Amino acid sequence: MLRRTEGIVLRTIPFGEADLIVTYLTGDLGLIKAFAKSPRKIKSRFGSSLEPLTHSIISFWGKEDTALPRLTQSDIIHPFKSIRDSLNSFLRASEIIEITLNFIPERDANRNVYSLLLHILQALENQDNPKILVNHYKIKFLKLVGFAPKLDACGRCGRSGTSFYLSHGSVLCETCARGIDSPVKISAAVLKLFTDLTTWDTLKVHRIKPSDILLSELSDIINMHIKYILSKPLKSEAFNNSISG
Amino acid sequence: MEQGIIENLITELTKLPGIGRKTAQRLAFFILSMPAEDAKGIARAIIEVKEKAHFCKVCFNVTDNELCHICSNPSRDRNKLCVVEEPSNIMVIERSKSFDGLYHVLLGALSPIDGYTPDRLKIHELIERVRKDSIQEVIIATNPNTKGEMTAQYIREMLKPFSVKVTRIAYGLPIGGDIEFADEVTLSKALEGRREI
Ligand SMILES: [Zn+2]
Ligand SMILES: [Zn+2]
Repeated sequence: MLRRTEGIVLRTIPFGEADLIVTYLTGDLGLIKAFAKSPRKIKSRFGSSLEPLTHSIISFWGKEDTALPRLTQSDIIHPFKSIRDSLNSFLRASEIIEITLNFIPERDANRNVYSLLLHILQALENQDNPKILVNHYKIKFLKLVGFAPKLDACGRCGRSGTSFYLSHGSVLCETCARGIDSPVKISAAVLKLFTDLTTWDTLKVHRIKPSDILLSELSDIINMHIKYILSKPLKSEAFNNSISG
Repeated sequence: MEQGIIENLITELTKLPGIGRKTAQRLAFFILSMPAEDAKGIARAIIEVKEKAHFCKVCFNVTDNELCHICSNPSRDRNKLCVVEEPSNIMVIERSKSFDGLYHVLLGALSPIDGYTPDRLKIHELIERVRKDSIQEVIIATNPNTKGEMTAQYIREMLKPFSVKVTRIAYGLPIGGDIEFADEVTLSKALEGRREI
């Protein structure tokens, strides 16, 4: 059966001599993998359309339940080339790609995640504050897939609290925490930034201008939370640290 | 018993890239019908390569000596260094006969989501060569895709403190192709890389 849909390239893995396995995030079908014959040959008809982040219309062929349908065509809607043109912005985008790949099961359509990703890529291309956008994406994305950390009140009883517990993905009040203290404190400033990043529109989020220290503080908490859920750190995060450190 | 040894060969051959069960079967029966010396020649070549081949200690090309045939060739231009991702890339560039300098193989390309960090590639070794040797130009010939481009940009950054010219191979349209079939990214890169004639 031939299917046609719209998708964004998240990852390509070389296969055999000149083939690729391409992972797309699509609106209709969620995360899908497709087999592309010979795109790594210089004269391939796929051209640059399989580069990461490319937004395209794709056609693929295979039985309804096949794990690896064959990609027959991909026509670029928008290449998001400028994000790939700079090492710095691509590194930021890599965090977005990796978290998306790690939390979403294959073939489970989630239109909201798809449009969030598309909007973030548009924003990344037009704005010069990638770090705030990446954190905005992580927070919104975690909420859409049901893993948002709870920072505003105790996750058990709703009373106020400022200690964040990774094991609960939430702040707990002193009573619920039974006196066991957590080293992760949520300051009023961090909570305010978190709330802003959760509620503001993607196209306006660049207007939030936190200090570097504050943004790093929130970013560290989100990354710890992600690492706890996945039981492993994001590889792109380690990469960013190895470069800046 | 005989079924067992052929079955074994088929299973071993399927470990090669791009070889499925059917092709492996065809190859196995072809090997069976070959003159014994030819078949043994293949087996010996595989064993020899695995026993003797290793990376050149200077450029990380594949060699069976301490230095590869390019590093040890006195007529190569030691002022130019061409950086590639894999040893097989050297063979292709050599066949083009358009480069007479030395090489440096990175043994991969940077890829954040796959955990390919700079310390997993031979980038540190490249910087050391630039620091110590009389290199005047570093030509980055990593693949014209995102991983290759990120690697090129990273190397350019790392080489900024040195007074060395860093160039990148040109992006362009494939020869024999038709502009009509080129996609917008390839075309815009080809336009950026235009030159006066
Ligand atoms: Zn409580
Ligand atoms: Zn060598």
